Amino acid sequence: MSYKIPMGPYHPALEEPYKLDLICEGETVRDAKLHIGFNFRGIERLAETRNYIQVIALMERVCGICSNIHTLTLCQAMEKLTGLIPPPRARYIRVIMAELERLHSHVLWAGIAAKLMGFKTMFMTCFELREQVMDVLQAISGNRVNYSMNRIGGVNRDIDDPLAILGMVEQLEREMVRTVIPIFTTSKTATSRCAGVGILTLEKALSCGVVGPVARASGVAQDIRRAAPYAAYEEMEFDVPVQHGGDVRARLLVRALEIMESCKILRQALTKLPPGELNAGEDKIVFAAGTATSRVEAPRGEVMYSVTWKENARNPSRIHVRTPTFAVMPAIRWMVLGARLADTPLIQASIDPCYSCTDR
Amino acid sequence: MTQTITLLDSIPEKLGTTESWVEKGGVHWLSPDPLNVRELAKTMNDCKARFITITAYQLPGDQGFRMEYHWDLDGQLLGFPFLLAGNTIESIYDLCEAVDWIEREIHEEFALDFLGREYEPLLLRQGDKPGVNLRDTGAPNKPASGLSGREEAK
Repeated sequence: MSYKIPMGPYHPALEEPYKLDLICEGETVRDAKLHIGFNFRGIERLAETRNYIQVIALMERVCGICSNIHTLTLCQAMEKLTGLIPPPRARYIRVIMAELERLHSHVLWAGIAAKLMGFKTMFMTCFELREQVMDVLQAISGNRVNYSMNRIGGVNRDIDDPLAILGMVEQLEREMVRTVIPIFTTSKTATSRCAGVGILTLEKALSCGVVGPVARASGVAQDIRRAAPYAAYEEMEFDVPVQHGGDVRARLLVRALEIMESCKILRQALTKLPPGELNAGEDKIVFAAGTATSRVEAPRGEVMYSVTWKENARNPSRIHVRTPTFAVMPAIRWMVLGARLADTPLIQASIDPCYSCTDR
Repeated sequence: MTQTITLLDSIPEKLGTTESWVEKGGVHWLSPDPLNVRELAKTMNDCKARFITITAYQLPGDQGFRMEYHWDLDGQLLGFPFLLAGNTIESIYDLCEAVDWIEREIHEEFALDFLGREYEPLLLRQGDKPGVNLRDTGAPNKPASGLSGREEAK
């Protein structure tokens, strides 16, 4: 006999509201239906009512964790319409902010995953590390969540003392290597809860079109930073970690390895930060009529913006945002098939879902 | 990369068009006229391209909609724009599983019907009318009240 167990929209395992209806036989999940929309704010519609300065602040609020990525993607699309080219220093600062945000996002996720595994000590350790990353972000931007760093044609703020930031990054890297990565990769708690759980096969990952760490954990070697470099990523040396297990452990390993790669990128960007202007310095911004698209590798995967402007308009006529969780979340249905009911909170969390991004 | 370029070059022929790719703003655009979205989806599957998204734009007055289908081919962003005069379009869900949520979202936001698929209850606002969010006045097949979805929602 099968029965339905609703998880959400409000549930201790969910960071934000969404609903997963699990059809179970005994303790085994036989099917699942996802319901989103609980965080719907109509941001795409709102964007049509904001001018080219206001819309940056609006889109920064699509997501609380990867807020910088959204303004970066939007500004890159608007730069294509205005013809403004960010100077080299601005492109490097964009990379630094993006990688700090990835660190912050991945460490936050590691903490939440640890909590769902019943590993509270690790949760506290990760959140302490996350604080350090947020301190760096605050030191650069003055803000801990919405950094207001990007503008059309460059960035708003400089990094005055890159070597001081470098010191903080190196300390963070040491702590990752000393505690977080060994515990996640070798501890029995992590292994027993994650290995062989919530498998997304390569075939399913391809057919569902998943992106980011979830795709890379299923053997899909895609990363927009490498495939279609933006900002200053073409000048950075880094690896794209890929695992083939497709389970929660593989997703955990991919993110752990990405933390190390982010530190590597940050070290390069901070030491090679070129001198010069922070932005293109245009007082009057003129948009060409048309549509421009931009893609960026956010912590959760590819973000794509399509931005349309009419001639002589101050407001965009349309902004469409495709967030990574929107692409990844439908695959949860396949991950939980055959899983134990008790594992579903961790499985759904393993995609690092951002419900607000998904709903917009 | 050479293989990707060869694949790119073969796509217009597979779609039966004499149009060629136009690269603009980092996107390879191809506008076959008319565009059969199901043939397009099959061709993209053959090329092992990754579906990204569909973007719908409402055109002024009764001009209908502009649709853009996007795929990624080894890091190359492909765009297929076309105009939609009516209110319906063929679904490609059975050919490309990844389009499920975006077809549902466009159905809800613009009240466009993707033919050949079933919809689960509204993704965004269960119980609301399709088109409540992004559809504006002057759209084809206006609601009986003559108001747009947005206006009706007020």
